[in-house]
Amino acid sequence: MSASNGNRLTPEEINRYSRHVTLPEVGVSGQEKLKAASVLSIGAGGLGSPIGIYLAATGVGRIGVVDDDVVDISNLNRQIAHSTESAGQPKVETIRKRMLEINPLIRVDIYNTRLTRENALELFSQYDIIVDGSDNFQTRYLVNDAAYLTGKPLIYGSIFRFEGQMSVFHPHREGPCYRCLYSNPPPASLVPS
Amino acid sequence: MATETIKLILGQGEPLIGRLMLYDSLRMQFRDVRIRKDPNCELCGENPSITELIDYEAFCAVELPAPSGQSPEELDAAAVEISAADLKSIIESGQSMTLLDVREPHEWEINRIDPARLTPLSKFEQFISELNREDEIYLYCYKGKRSLTALKQLQEHGFKNLHSLAGGIDKWAEEVDPSMPRY
Ligand SMILES: [Zn+2]
Repeated sequence: MSASNGNRLTPEEINRYSRHVTLPEVGVSGQEKLKAASVLSIGAGGLGSPIGIYLAATGVGRIGVVDDDVVDISNLNRQIAHSTESAGQPKVETIRKRMLEINPLIRVDIYNTRLTRENALELFSQYDIIVDGSDNFQTRYLVNDAAYLTGKPLIYGSIFRFEGQMSVFHPHREGPCYRCLYSNPPPASLVPS
Repeated sequence: MATETIKLILGQGEPLIGRLMLYDSLRMQFRDVRIRKDPNCELCGENPSITELIDYEAFCAVELPAPSGQSPEELDAAAVEISAADLKSIIESGQSMTLLDVREPHEWEINRIDPARLTPLSKFEQFISELNREDEIYLYCYKGKRSLTALKQLQEHGFKNLHSLAGGIDKWAEEVDPSMPRY
């Protein structure tokens, strides 16, 4: 993920990211790494909304968002990328609109489809890092397996009621994967819907 | 999650690799527990059985085996339950007993009651053959429900001397060991 010449910051970008580039831990070179990076975000819901917004604002150069759902009013208490007027529209459309409102200097690729075993490997191979904001066990295991099989680091998070979990799975380098923690999903009848 | 993503891109800081962050917004508590690679992991372990994507609908549609008799709710819980204080005295008396923690490994990482052994309910059947029918067996879980399910399974295998910690390890932490981390 080193920045090539095409990822040199423009004066406009230096200005936009000035609070980053003045941090020694980031600097111009760090901001160029962000510009060169690509991240695929699974889901545009409760977790995917702030993930997409923050990654866009931070200046990650290319962000993909996968979600096949449409905005419902009952989503809006937590899925902050969407708005009341976007009810009924595909979530990926409204999150892209919001992300580009915040930062038009990045690229947002949207996939208005369900992530499946047929499309996951091909999609994952086009990105550096996978972020899982999905809300069901089928997708979570699929994301874990596809990230491992394509060698991509996976940012895992899940929320239930008032509690959340987060980890980073990069078993090719070190540490466990999601299956190391949970080798099997809970019985279907115990999964809250 | 966005912060972890950015740290990976920048190569800065300590990523959450090998740690599970637990967040409780009601108590406003963050806790992180170390998590380890499972050498038997079906995906990233030493002898992986998953080398391509599988049918995730089917994988996640699995149900518990249909109860062959009573459900745990129908079990006479009062007859097999033991209070945290009583379990503590039995452990401290040093008498021969087997203590089983039927929670999952990530919960075991957080807290446990010595001298328990981890036998997760999700894989409980595979541990049954290793248990001795003559032993006094004490089971506990987080809140006291899964341990009753496990106890029922042992009953079906002919075990008799069975006890379940009422209220689970959470009750234990509340009443017997306030220094224990709770989740
Ligand atoms: Zn694993």
